[in-house]
Amino acid sequence: MCVLSAANARSSPAEPDRFCRLKECDDRTVSTAPIELEQPDVAESDPLEAADRPWTTVVWNDPVNLMSYVSYVFQTYFGYPRTKAEKLMMDVHQRGKAAVSTGTREEMERDVAAMHGYGLWATLQHD
Amino acid sequence: MSFTFRAGPHRTVQANLEAVEAQLLAYLFAQLLDLLGPAEDAKPSADPLAIELGLADLGAEPEEVAPPDDPALARLFPDAYRDDEEAAAEFRRFTEGDLRSGKRDRVQCALESLPEEKGGRFDLDEEQAQCWLGSLNDLRLVLGSRFGLTDDGQEPGTGLDPDDPLRAYVPAYHYLGYLQETLLEALPR
Repeated sequence: MCVLSAANARSSPAEPDRFCRLKECDDRTVSTAPIELEQPDVAESDPLEAADRPWTTVVWNDPVNLMSYVSYVFQTYFGYPRTKAEKLMMDVHQRGKAAVSTGTREEMERDVAAMHGYGLWATLQHD
Repeated sequence: MSFTFRAGPHRTVQANLEAVEAQLLAYLFAQLLDLLGPAEDAKPSADPLAIELGLADLGAEPEEVAPPDDPALARLFPDAYRDDEEAAAEFRRFTEGDLRSGKRDRVQCALESLPEEKGGRFDLDEEQAQCWLGSLNDLRLVLGSRFGLTDDGQEPGTGLDPDDPLRAYVPAYHYLGYLQETLLEALPR
């Protein structure tokens, strides 16, 4: 996550006419994947058992999102109290990811879509 | 005392921009709008005869279900499943359109709330403040992708050639972070 030092950020926002167009600056092939943590594959066994296992929304660390913003999203969207939101945010920041909600697949897809709306990188997985 | 964003009465945010800030943000928001692509209803209209004959859908582009080629857009519309391409494609098929139009609407809202080029004092209601928050974040994500940021603590702009036009965006990236941080502090909780 971005630990912002805003000391001199306002003093030199730069002039617009010096910019290239963002749309044309994409000739770099860069990976924007977050730091990956290996996760063991959970083999699908009994289908009935599989249906009972909840799904989880996981938020992944990225170098751009502000820590304050991530905490804000957890408080605002999930309604978590500040302490829980800060803890989850620090898990994302320090461990690379955090499980932020659990439920049915449909519920987790809704949460993941919401996270993407906020600009967080989230995925859902079957526990 | 000078300020950029501060809490106002009735859950509003009071904003205060210098002329160069207002001009820069108008420029950047417009760039983001351009990057997000045209609105759904801006697609070229089909031949009316073809529609009448029921042939309008033949040869139509299939719903885009692969991640965008542009890495900045791929970051704005990431995969929802890490190890399941099919599920990720299905999710994208159902959600990317709304996600994209939502982000478009947000930038449009932010652009329209900006004062004219001379800057100055203006107020944001709750919805407008959320439009700013989301659009500032989207802009930072796009720039982060253009800079090739992958690790925490990586300084944006390192590794760019001295004459790379992207370098002009480095101070803007820090400035946008300052704006977003300050706006967060001014939001009602």
